[in-house]
Amino acid sequence: MNALIKSAKIIDSNSKLNGKTVDILIEKGIIIKIGSKLKNPKNIQEISFPDLHISAGWFDMRANFCDPGHEYKEDLNSGLKAAAKGGFTGVMVMPDTTPSTSTKSGIEYIINKTKANIVDAYPAGSLSHNCEGKEIAEMYDMHTAGAIAFTDNKKSVSKSSLLNKALLYSQSFKGLIINFPNDKELNNNGQINEGVVSTELGLKGIPALAEELIVSRDIFLAEYCNSKIHLSNITTKKSVELIKAAKKKGINITADVNSYHLLLDETELLNFDNHYKVNPPLRTKGDIKALIAGLKDGTIDAICSDHTPEDIENKQCEFDHAAFGMINLQTSFSAANTAINGKMELVDYIAKITSSPREILGLEQIEIKEGTKANLTLFSPNEKWSLKKEEIISKSKNTPFIDKELTGKVYGIINNNQLV
Amino acid sequence: MSKLSVNHLLGIRYLTSEDIKLIFETADHFKEVINRPIKKVPSLRDITIANLFFENSTRTKLSFEIAEKRLSADILNFSSSNSSVTKGETLIDTVNNILSMKVDMVVMRHPNPGAADFLSKHVDAKIVNAGDGAHEHPTQALLDAFSMREKHGDLKGKNVVIVGDILHSRVALSNIFCLKKLGANVRVCGPLTLMPKHIGSLGVEVMTDLKEALNWCDVAMMLRIQLERQDAKNFPSLREYSMLYGLDKELLDSLDKKITVMHPGPINRGVEITSDVADSKQSIILEQVENGVAIRMAVLYLLAGKN
Repeated sequence: MNALIKSAKIIDSNSKLNGKTVDILIEKGIIIKIGSKLKNPKNIQEISFPDLHISAGWFDMRANFCDPGHEYKEDLNSGLKAAAKGGFTGVMVMPDTTPSTSTKSGIEYIINKTKANIVDAYPAGSLSHNCEGKEIAEMYDMHTAGAIAFTDNKKSVSKSSLLNKALLYSQSFKGLIINFPNDKELNNNGQINEGVVSTELGLKGIPALAEELIVSRDIFLAEYCNSKIHLSNITTKKSVELIKAAKKKGINITADVNSYHLLLDETELLNFDNHYKVNPPLRTKGDIKALIAGLKDGTIDAICSDHTPEDIENKQCEFDHAAFGMINLQTSFSAANTAINGKMELVDYIAKITSSPREILGLEQIEIKEGTKANLTLFSPNEKWSLKKEEIISKSKNTPFIDKELTGKVYGIINNNQLV
Repeated sequence: MSKLSVNHLLGIRYLTSEDIKLIFETADHFKEVINRPIKKVPSLRDITIANLFFENSTRTKLSFEIAEKRLSADILNFSSSNSSVTKGETLIDTVNNILSMKVDMVVMRHPNPGAADFLSKHVDAKIVNAGDGAHEHPTQALLDAFSMREKHGDLKGKNVVIVGDILHSRVALSNIFCLKKLGANVRVCGPLTLMPKHIGSLGVEVMTDLKEALNWCDVAMMLRIQLERQDAKNFPSLREYSMLYGLDKELLDSLDKKITVMHPGPINRGVEITSDVADSKQSIILEQVENGVAIRMAVLYLLAGKN
C-alpha cells in the first residue's frame, strides 16, 4: 500500500509534530517521509480531504462481536469492517459470547479468524469460567495464547471473593482485570436510570448507587490486593469522584466511559425509544458534565464504543423485553467529539482512544515518525455528517444515531499495509 | 365541537388541560345519556373496537365493553390467556393480525410500561391505553378527577392525597399527572419502600404519616396493595401495612373535617380501607364506577371523531 497524504494536521500528544500540518509519504505500509509539500515522483496515490487531521490509529477497548454464537447479529469480519469505518485500527473483543471466550481455544479462534485484517483484533478472556461468576477461568493459559485482559464484561462480578482471587492470581503474569461496576441486586432488572424519567414512565429504575457501591468495593479490593484494576462503563458523578479520590491515594486504578454516555442523557427515553436502552443506562446532564470533567482531569482514561449489536426482534418490541445496547463503532468518535469538542483539547481526548487504552492494556504505542509502520486514522473534528441507514456496516442496525447530525467525521484508516 | 390534541389516548402525560376539560364536558353529556330509559346512542355505529387484555382485568374491561355497547360499536374481545401470545407471537404480529380484520380502534391493557405507546407507532389504529404496567391508566385518572369534580367542583387548589403502593401503581402516576394539570395540590403517602425515589420530581410531596396526610386533604385516594406486583416484600405483612396505612372508621371520624374517600378498586377490604369506610357516606367508590362508563364513552367518541 503506497500513499501520499497531503496537508494533514498531526494530532499526537507524544509527537514533536503535534499540531503541525504536513505531508506523509507511505510506501509498502511504512512511513517513508514526513515533511511539507512532499514531491510525488513515483505517481503514488494522493490522499487529501477537507480539514484533514491525522493521528495514531484509534483503539477501542470494548467491542461486542457476537461471534461465536450470534453471528446473525455480528461476526468478527463484519464487526472489524465497522471498526475500520469508524476509524479504529485496533479493538479489544469482549469474551461474553456463546460460548464465552474462557479457554485458550477461544482466544485462538479470535486471533486466527482475524489474521491479516486491516484492524487488529485483541481478545479479552473471561475472568470467570464461562462468565458464570463462580470460579476464575484459566487466565494464564489464555494470557499465553494472546488474551490481553480478563473480564466478564456486562456480567459484572458479584462475588467479592471471586474478584479478590482474580486480582491476586492475575499478578503472577501481570494480567489486567476489568470489572463493570453494577450491583445486580440493586439493579434488580431495572430498565433505565432511576430518576425523573423512570418515574414518569413507570419503568423500573437502575439507581446510580448500583454502580457506585461496586466502584467503592472494587477500589477497596484493588487496594487490599495491591493490584491494578480497570473499571469499565463509568456513568455517574459519584463514581468519578470515587475514582478520582482513589487515584489521588495512589491506588492503581483506571477507568473508561462509553462515548454515547458523554452525549446522551435519560431524557432521550421520554418516548420509550428503546434504541436508547443501554447498560449501564443513560444518566443525567449533571453526570455527563462530571464525566467530561473526569476525562479532562485524567480520572477517566479511555473512551469506548461499547458496540453492542442486536437484531430487530430484540429491539422492535415492548420496552421491558428489548435488549440493552447500541452499535456504535461507526459513530463512537463523532458522538464523543460532538459532546466534548470545545470543552477539551482535541489532542487530549484523541489520547483517550489511542495512547491511553494501549497503555492500560500494555500494548505497544504507535508513533507517527519516519521508518515506522503506518498505523493511522484520518479524520476531521469539524466536519458535520449524519449516519444513513444504508451506510451501516454492522449486520445489526440498532443505533439511535441514524439521520442525526454529528460533528466529526472519519475519512479512513491505514494499518497492516492496507488502506480503507 | 372542538377536538382532542392527540390521536391516541396513551396517557395523561400526553394530554393538555384543554383535552381533559373537553373529555369531561363530553362525559357530562354521556352521563346524562346512560341515565335515560334508552341508554344506547348510535354514535360509533360501524366502528369496530378490539379490546385486547394481556393482563387480568374485570372492572376496566367490563367498563370499556359497556361504554362501547352504549355507543353501538362492534366489539372484539381478546385476552392473552387464550391467544397465540403464549405461543411466542410478538405483540405487533398479534395486533396486526387482528387489525387485518378491519378494526378501527384498540383498547389495550398490557403488563409492560410503554406498550400502548409502542403499538401506536407500529400499527394503524387508534389506541386507548387501558393500563400499561406501572406507567399509566389514563381513563382511571380521568374518571377519578371527574368524580372529584362532581363532588367538589373545580379542582384548582383542592388537596388530594394518594395513599399506598405508589411504586407499582399506574393509577397513582396517571392521577398525579391529571390532578396537577387541573391545578390540584397532590401529595403521596405510604411507606418509602413503596415510593419511587424521585416521585418529588413530579411536583408532589411525600408523607409517611397517614393521619397528618388525611388532615391535610380534601380527598383521599386509597390505592389497592398490588400483591401480584411485589417482586420482593416491601413491607413485613398486610396486617402491619393496615396498622400503618389502613383507613378505618375511627381514624376517619377523628379527622378535623369530612374528607371524601376514593378507591380505584378492587378493594382489599380490611387492608387499605375497612368495610365501614368503603360503604360510608364519605366514600364515592360506586360513583367512580358509574362515571367510568361515561368517561370511556367520551374518550372513545372523541378519538373516533379524529381523522
